Amino acid sequence: MSEKPKQRVWARWVVLAAIILGLFLFTPFFGIGLGIKPIMPEVFLPGEKLSEQPLFTIPFVGPFYYTNTTTGIILADIVVILIAIGVSRGVKSGKVALTGISGAVEALVEALHGITEGTAGKWTKQIFPWFAAITLLVLASNWLGLIPGAETIGIVHHSEHKGYALKDLGAIGGLKIQTIWDEGEPAAAEGEHGAQYVIIPFHRPVSTDLNFTFALALVAVFMVQVMGFRAQGWGYLTKFWNVKHFFSKPIFGFIDWGVGLLELVSEFSKILSFAFRLFGNLFAGAVLIFVMGSLVPIFAPAMFYLLEFFVGLIQAIVFGMLTMTFMAQATQGHGEHEEAHA
Amino acid sequence: MEFESAKILGKLIGAGLAMIGAIGAGAGIGIVTSGAVQAMGRNPDATGTIQTNMILGIAFAEAVAIYCLVVALLILFVF
Repeated sequence: MSEKPKQRVWARWVVLAAIILGLFLFTPFFGIGLGIKPIMPEVFLPGEKLSEQPLFTIPFVGPFYYTNTTTGIILADIVVILIAIGVSRGVKSGKVALTGISGAVEALVEALHGITEGTAGKWTKQIFPWFAAITLLVLASNWLGLIPGAETIGIVHHSEHKGYALKDLGAIGGLKIQTIWDEGEPAAAEGEHGAQYVIIPFHRPVSTDLNFTFALALVAVFMVQVMGFRAQGWGYLTKFWNVKHFFSKPIFGFIDWGVGLLELVSEFSKILSFAFRLFGNLFAGAVLIFVMGSLVPIFAPAMFYLLEFFVGLIQAIVFGMLTMTFMAQATQGHGEHEEAHA
Repeated sequence: MEFESAKILGKLIGAGLAMIGAIGAGAGIGIVTSGAVQAMGRNPDATGTIQTNMILGIAFAEAVAIYCLVVALLILFVF
């Protein structure tokens, strides 16, 4: 009795492996037979505009276009909201042990809460929501970029610089389905604007847009200052303009004042390092997958997808954890120092 | 050499030179992790705290490499 199901499980894995191997072998032969080479997609640093006209114009700031990273933030928001709805349903169901998505989120939130409690102490209740919200949003946006088709399906766009030839695949209703492919020869023979097309994808993970990471960094660093004022009142400003011992201890007082100015500079450099860390990691990851997919189209991209999976997780946790640590530092400040003097 | 190809040449060399800064970050991350692993070996009870601080330290060290990377990417794709 116990032999039979075991065998069936074994047979299932063999069939699965055969299917995967067949797909892997089929793809290159199919491609080579048709003369299709893997191509390197055009890399754009800013989010590509999907709308020709700006949606609206903000005075003094400039026009607002619908870019493909806007799709990224909308999708990430939807995912976070769906998770919230699922968890609130799970909590309201009254089960003692949460199951499914709410159980998974409970484990994550518990781990984050434990880290916050260890660092922030009595300010955990105020600081934890920022930590968890930032981590969840960045995590959702990072992992959404790993879905197949995320940066490959989009609008075919005419490019001025370089691109690939256009090929019709068919049509569904009035919608033409086209692809770009490498014909092997430079397509300059067809004229100046002959066969130069690139794909502008519908969706790109929002962390690869500097605007998003910079905005998130501004919010995080601003809230660090707010936490500092909430914990210490106006005394928080002595961190930046420290003249407490300026006259009583001339030399060390002067050094303290200089250190305060450096603290002010470091607040601004925090914004930059927050923004560039997330952006650089995720953008480099996207480019890495592009390059690997065009160099070694089979097997290798899977490894890099796994790497990007971990990078997305680690960067989300690092962004949240740094915010939490800076907030905890701002709440502590020189408070103990003053108490010791008094 | 025409101007366009000279420009591309300069871009590629510049991006490559910009990434030299990653050396320091790599060494730094290695030192941080080595210290953390030694500390965990001596005091396994403190693993949680050490791990948190290790990840923070790695993030700070890595930030420098990321600056280099951003500069290289800007050179390659923006200018």
